[in-house]
Amino acid sequence: MYFPLTFWDISLWLAVTSIILLATSEILSPYYGRVNIWINKKRLKLVSLTLGILFMITVVIRVLEIIIF
Amino acid sequence: MNDVTKRIQELENEKETLRSKLWKQQRKPAGKVGYLLLFLGFVALAASIFVPSNMNYMLAFVGLGLTFWGALLLYIKPTRYVKASLLDSTAISNLIAIDQIIADLNYGGRGIYLPPRYLRELKGGTVYIPSEDALTIPPVEEVAQERVFLKNPNGVCLTPSGLGLVNLYERELRTDFAKVDLDYLQNNLPKLFIEDLEMAEELEINPQNNLIHVKITGAVYQDLCREVRKLRNICNSFGCPLCSSIAIALTRATGKPIIMEKNEIGPDGKTIEVYYRILEE
Repeated sequence: MYFPLTFWDISLWLAVTSIILLATSEILSPYYGRVNIWINKKRLKLVSLTLGILFMITVVIRVLEIIIF
Repeated sequence: MNDVTKRIQELENEKETLRSKLWKQQRKPAGKVGYLLLFLGFVALAASIFVPSNMNYMLAFVGLGLTFWGALLLYIKPTRYVKASLLDSTAISNLIAIDQIIADLNYGGRGIYLPPRYLRELKGGTVYIPSEDALTIPPVEEVAQERVFLKNPNGVCLTPSGLGLVNLYERELRTDFAKVDLDYLQNNLPKLFIEDLEMAEELEINPQNNLIHVKITGAVYQDLCREVRKLRNICNSFGCPLCSSIAIALTRATGKPIIMEKNEIGPDGKTIEVYYRILEE
C-alpha cells in the first residue's frame, strides 16, 4: 500500500495544470459564446497562480537538492 | 417598407428571447458535476493506493486530476447570481416615485451632477434639478447645507440613483475618482464594466471637448433603460442607475458639473448612447 506518484510527478502535473488554467483564465470572457457553467474568473486566476507558485516551490526544492548534494 | 423592418426587428427580438429560454433549459448545474468529479477522483486515488495493479500510476494521475477539477468546479462557481429582471423590478419603483415627485413639483430643468467640492462627503453625490429649464448652478454654500429644496436658485437636490454603483466602481478599482482624470476613466471603466463586474458587453468613452460620448452595448440594465424611457422626468434629468453612475464618475474625475445632454437607445435595444456635457462655472 503506497502512493504511486513521486514528488517529481506531482511537480510536472502542477506545471501543466497551472499553465492550462492560467491560459484559460486569461482568454476566458463571459460574453464569447454561451457556456453551461458560470465561472468566477477571479477565483480561477487565483487557483492558477497558486498552482504556479506551488510548481515554483518544487523547482526551488529541486535546485536546492542539486546545490546541497 | 417600415412595417417590414419593424416586423423583422420583432422577430429578431423574439428569437433572442427563445434562444435565452432554450439556453436556460439546457443549463447543467455545475455543483453536481463538481461533486461527481470529486467522488470519482477520490475513488481512483483510493484504488491507486489500496488495489495492487500495474495501472496504479495511471490511476493515481487520473484520480489526482479528477479530484482537482471537481474541487475547482465547486470553488469557481459564482457565489450567487440574480436575474436581471429582479434587478429591474427592484429599481423601477423608486424611479417612478422620483418621476412623480418631479412632475408634481413641475421642475422642468435638466439634472446637474455636482462635483465633490460641493459636498461634505467625498463619497457622496448630488444631482440638482432646477425648477426651470435653465442651467443655473447653485452656489457651493447653498448646496453644502444639504437641504433638499433650494431657494436661490429654485430647485431640488437629490441623491442620484447611481451613487451606490459608482462607489462600487471605486471599491473594485481601489481608487478615488476625485483623484484621477478623464483618461483614467477612459482606460479603466471599460475593463471594469466588461470583465470585473460583467455588467456590459462593451463600453466606449469618447471625450470631444466639453462633450463626452459614452456608448454602452449589452448592459444588464438595458431592460430597465427601456422602462425608464417611458417616464418623462428621469432619462435626461435624474438618470437611471447606470447613466447616473457614469455621470457621477465623470463629475468626480473632472471636478466640474455634468449634465446628460442626450440619451438614446439603439434600434436593436442593446446599445445605449449618452452624451454628457461638462459645464463651465
